[in-house]
Amino acid sequence: MDRYNYAFLDENSKREIRRSVLKAVAVPGYQVPFGSRELPIGRGWGTGGIQLTLSLIGPEDTLKVIDQGSDESVNAVNIKKFVKMCTDVPCTTRTQEATIIQTRHRVPEIPLKNNQILVLQVPLPEPLRVVEAREEVTKKMHAEQDYAPIWLQLYESLVKYKKVTIGTEYPCMAENRYIMNPSPIPKFDNPKLHEAECLYLFGAGREKKIYAIPPHTRVVSLAFDDVPFEKESFKGKCCRLCGSTDTYLDEIFDSATGEKYYQCSDTSYCREVRSK
Amino acid sequence: MKPLYTFDETFDSQKIFRTLLEAMSNPGRKLSLASGAEKLYGACPQLLAAAMTLLDSKVSFHVYGSPELEEQIVLLTHAEKEEAQKADYLFVTGASFLEEAFRDAKPGTLADPHLSATLVILCEDGNEEELVLEGPGIKGKETVSLPAEAKKTLQLREARCYEYPAGVDMIYITESGQVFCIPRLVKREDV
Repeated sequence: MDRYNYAFLDENSKREIRRSVLKAVAVPGYQVPFGSRELPIGRGWGTGGIQLTLSLIGPEDTLKVIDQGSDESVNAVNIKKFVKMCTDVPCTTRTQEATIIQTRHRVPEIPLKNNQILVLQVPLPEPLRVVEAREEVTKKMHAEQDYAPIWLQLYESLVKYKKVTIGTEYPCMAENRYIMNPSPIPKFDNPKLHEAECLYLFGAGREKKIYAIPPHTRVVSLAFDDVPFEKESFKGKCCRLCGSTDTYLDEIFDSATGEKYYQCSDTSYCREVRSK
Repeated sequence: MKPLYTFDETFDSQKIFRTLLEAMSNPGRKLSLASGAEKLYGACPQLLAAAMTLLDSKVSFHVYGSPELEEQIVLLTHAEKEEAQKADYLFVTGASFLEEAFRDAKPGTLADPHLSATLVILCEDGNEEELVLEGPGIKGKETVSLPAEAKKTLQLREARCYEYPAGVDMIYITESGQVFCIPRLVKREDV
């Protein structure tokens, strides 16, 4: 890796991403376009998040990478190896020790602090894509704050199924202006974006967009006055390993016995609870 | 060829960017970029350090009040000199240019708010005033003591009546290398 620049990207690429990040922080929820670079990993495998991490990272950082809450999954391990190879920063699995956490599909269970940055990998940054296919139209809809179609989609879901059926990527309103896609995190994690202590950065490499939620920003999941937002409930269930009842649980099915087990999706949190 | 400066374009830029990011994410918080600015030279090394971090040939800039700084930015970043109304970054080297800068600064559009100008303002040390700020990045309301230029710029920005998301973001750098930011959504409350 000696032939590559520190943190793989050339300095011009980092500068462009850094400029976009500052704009994204200034306009919470707005998708800032950027020139997504080629990386030695296929688009759709976290290239937006990696580019953000590589533009942020320096020798004083400690990195944690998780995929669906796990420190040990293939995507997380490979990203960690790649970043370590081209920066030599220490990696950790402990949420509290990390200064930059790159994640796919989860927000850690431990509340993040002000000196931490959570980088989320985003496959589809546009929350209005489900109701409008054309980019130029969704851009205009954001400009005019024309969000009626997405409200209508929620309403239709209520009429048809008696509940909002969106599981992940549940749209939220940032600072009462932009509807944004919180990336495919479960609804369980949406409230963690509201008035958080840390900075959230969202990177979509394939779609070439960066957006952000600065600390202490109002992020409200879309809901009607008479039908409040509901996150997943794990009432009556607990983690089979650590016994936690207040975490996001993965359901594991044993096809041999037909039994269902539940266990914490955040593996490092689960490990910590067990070690106490 | 030995450069005239010891500023490291990889590591000092990264450090200054993280300082700017923390400042932009936590408006009104004062941080320092002095360690990077000390490695540069010329008229305003503090502003030059920010320029080295953010500018390259893909963006344009305009400097108010310092032809020397303008020359150094072109030389070190290859950014394009542009008339103020079209420039992406406006470097303001004195309070006397603030009114002109706010008249000129492009606010972006409702569809493309990222096409707005960012003002990088040099402030004098001392002569601080208390301001109450509120907005994203600030828990509730926060009383902060900031150089007098901050209040003046907020008054000038209010007078422009930008329709959010259009607007301008400000990066303030003091002569001693302290830095703080006030992005477009952050408002002041009269004390």
